[in-house]
Amino acid sequence: MPAPEFMMRTATLVFVMMLAPLIPGIASRTRSILTARRGAPVWQLYPDLWKLLRRGTVYSRTTTVVFRLVPIALLASVVVAALMLPLDGRAAMLRFSGDVVAFAYVLALGRFVLVLGALDTGSSFEGMGASREVTFAALVEFGFFIALASLSVATHELSLSGMLGSPALALTWSSSAPAVIMIVAGLFVLLLAECSRSPVDDPATHLELTMIHEVIVLDHSGPDLAMILYASALKLSVIGALLARVAMPAAELSYAMRLGVLVAGLFAIGVGIGVVESAMARLRLPKVPLYIAGGSALPAFALILLLQ
Amino acid sequence: MILLLGGLSLLVAAAVGVISMRNQQRGNAVFATLVVAGCGLGMVPAVQVLYSGTARTVVLVLGSTLPGGDWIFGIDPLSAVFLIALFGVGAVAAVYGVGYMAFDSRTPAWPCHALFALELVALALVVCAQAIMPFMGAWELMAIGSMLLILTEYRHADARRAGLIYIVATHVGTLALFAMFALLARTSSDWSFSALATGTTSPSNARIAVLSLALVGFGVKAGFVPLHFWLPPAHAAAPSHVSALFSGVLIKVGIYGLLRVVTLVGPPPAWWGWLVLGLGLSSAVLGVLWALAQHDIKRLLAYHSVENIGIILMGMGAGALGSAYGHPSLAILGYGAALLHTLNHALFKSILFLGAGAVYRLTGTRNMEELGGLARRMPLTWLAFAVGSAAIIGVPPLNGFVSEWLVFQTLFRAGFSADALRIAVLAVPGLALVGGLALACFVKVGGVVFLGTPRSSRALTASRPGLLLDGPPLVLAAVCLLIGCLPMLVLPPMLIAGGFVAGVPLLPPEAGAMAAAVGAKQISILAAVLALAAAGIWLIGQRLHRTVPVRQSETWSGAYQLPSARMQYTASSFAAPLLEIFGRLSGVRTHRGASVFHSEPVDLILDGVVVPWWAVIERAALRLRPLQQGRLSRYLMYVISTVVALLAYLLVRAGGR
Repeated sequence: MPAPEFMMRTATLVFVMMLAPLIPGIASRTRSILTARRGAPVWQLYPDLWKLLRRGTVYSRTTTVVFRLVPIALLASVVVAALMLPLDGRAAMLRFSGDVVAFAYVLALGRFVLVLGALDTGSSFEGMGASREVTFAALVEFGFFIALASLSVATHELSLSGMLGSPALALTWSSSAPAVIMIVAGLFVLLLAECSRSPVDDPATHLELTMIHEVIVLDHSGPDLAMILYASALKLSVIGALLARVAMPAAELSYAMRLGVLVAGLFAIGVGIGVVESAMARLRLPKVPLYIAGGSALPAFALILLLQ
Repeated sequence: MILLLGGLSLLVAAAVGVISMRNQQRGNAVFATLVVAGCGLGMVPAVQVLYSGTARTVVLVLGSTLPGGDWIFGIDPLSAVFLIALFGVGAVAAVYGVGYMAFDSRTPAWPCHALFALELVALALVVCAQAIMPFMGAWELMAIGSMLLILTEYRHADARRAGLIYIVATHVGTLALFAMFALLARTSSDWSFSALATGTTSPSNARIAVLSLALVGFGVKAGFVPLHFWLPPAHAAAPSHVSALFSGVLIKVGIYGLLRVVTLVGPPPAWWGWLVLGLGLSSAVLGVLWALAQHDIKRLLAYHSVENIGIILMGMGAGALGSAYGHPSLAILGYGAALLHTLNHALFKSILFLGAGAVYRLTGTRNMEELGGLARRMPLTWLAFAVGSAAIIGVPPLNGFVSEWLVFQTLFRAGFSADALRIAVLAVPGLALVGGLALACFVKVGGVVFLGTPRSSRALTASRPGLLLDGPPLVLAAVCLLIGCLPMLVLPPMLIAGGFVAGVPLLPPEAGAMAAAVGAKQISILAAVLALAAAGIWLIGQRLHRTVPVRQSETWSGAYQLPSARMQYTASSFAAPLLEIFGRLSGVRTHRGASVFHSEPVDLILDGVVVPWWAVIERAALRLRPLQQGRLSRYLMYVISTVVALLAYLLVRAGGR
């Protein structure tokens, strides 16, 4: 890889990592505007994280080293997943045939440690959250791979860089737009579930029994919690970036334009999350599998169209 | 071949040694040393064949006066893969077995050890046999040896029942194999595999029958749904190091047989590929689903073997489809993926069974609902078990990821083709679902058994299992990590073996298969980046924690100050939401009363199909009872009437002509 390109990709990654806490802020700002409330500023998560970094940490006496590994594994997995994504619109820093699988399974590694950390506390709340998290994640994985399969069938590529950064995707847009639209819609539905957003999870709730993601990290505090919250925000941006690159292929444009498209896509996703959150309440838990099945059905139709 | 023979004789010597030594301590030491030496020696030629790059076959022929013609033994790349898994798992499990059997003072250890060593020999002979007679002979030796191993703890009714189910099931398989070989041998000059392979292309009807019979005969051993029903009881009842051998190697012999048949009859037709892919997918999904429902940790692991056999079959099916539709690189990739997953599963499933065995020995229970908090009491066991869990759910940087990644690649690449093969891409989300469910299941096992607080006094009083029980799984865990970080160590030989099965020479390498191998180099970089990122974040975390106060407290439980172990989530409740989604398919029977709620897992095939039908057969057989009166005169009459009937038949035929 030539040096300037490497520098540019590093710069893009750092930029996305800096931008990440803004996206949840955009979502909640959208929500406060739509529900006619004052609401917190868009950049609220930055001071929140800063505050947590200087707070003390409390560890439960029940916990073991697994619990302390959680922020490390979670953040590392999201960062490494980001390395495999063509954030700059053309190619990722780490790309190889089949890196789509690595992308999903690296994220699964983070989830594995996160959920084990929840059970490490011996808390029934966290056990409940862990159970829900793995249940819905297994279903989301199913849908996500349908979307990946349809993208690979459409582009004949097996790496994220090939799928999203090559002209092939733009060609698919022109040849079978309905299929790609269904993939995009399905990915957005799955993104809401994967990133613990309404209508699957409610990040604003204060009742442990109704939470999923929040309750898993109930016992984390101080810098650990800051890292976990940041990792969640970054994960939203990473999956959001994947969605944005599918929705708006920009491989032909200049670097500045490609970056602009990415930022616009991420902001749009933030607004979209906010709109969904203000428009509908959290689903009852037994309904969530149906929701995810619906989200998987869209890319499944796309796959059938593309296989035709 | 000399080395292999030397290794096998050392194994036999180990069996003789442990039987003849009066002093149990000395006998154990001799046994462990000889098995490790024998396995090490036997591994050398297998590695040589696999890494030499060519399909070199080392052959030993025993005199032609034996029944069934020459008894030929040899190592080709296909048998080499299974030999490596066999000797690797065998050596480690034997050492562990010495420590494991020492815990039980009521059961004498030497029969189990001796049988274990002989079972290793039988398994090695099965995968090295290159003719029908030695193959079937070794096959029966293996079947009987494994039944006796299941019966090690014959005092438990569970073990006796498991042994009975196993011996019946395995002989149903053997029957199918007899029929299959009879069909195969009809058109060939002698009974050696090379003659069968070059024999005149059998008519397509016979080929259909051979491939179907192979699926039944070897399928019973491999244990895919619906032929898996003997597997969970057998794995649960056998001693843990035996379970590791069963799950890691014995059931893989079924996979070996299927691949061997592919080399004998040539590229299978497309329907066979689709069937194998379908069986693999359903086996994988149902296996992991049924595993989720289990409370017994060893039964749970046994169902995971069903799942992983499914994943192996998916690779195999994709490979068969690749050759059926004329994509040789896909065939190599698919078969190579199946073989690599076979090896990987042998490694990580052995870790898990050995870990579960340590838990069982130190707590006296296999019921997960009575366990908890063992990470503090058995930290090394937990370390190995955690690595094994991460490997089986297929996350990087462990070996399970490499082989699942390869299966995924084969299926994704199938989607690129222009013919009907592209439908195979539909299996991709299925495999992803299996991955997600496996993650759920191993979070359940790890979290409920090792984390949290002890749920019973048994778990509370557990102590460290000692080096003999902790060392072997840790060695395997290191190998899992090594393969996961440096997949290029094992990938090229697996592709060579895959090419051998597909009947495609890999030299010069097929472009597609090698593209996958190049990707494997990047997996090493991925592992390094992952380690670097984790180390960096750990350092930052250390710095941050230095500036803030850190203290210990109780777990937050809604401001309730007296948390107890019973307030924890249980294994059943953890799995309940997922099982509910799949409804009756998940095989959970619930009992609801006014004040009782109780759920138990049932095997849909064993309890729902096999046992009821067995009862029907038994009732039908009772009708025939009057025929058996135990009087000699009556039996003589049967004989005479049969002779008369046959004579009449001859007369009628002669008259007709």
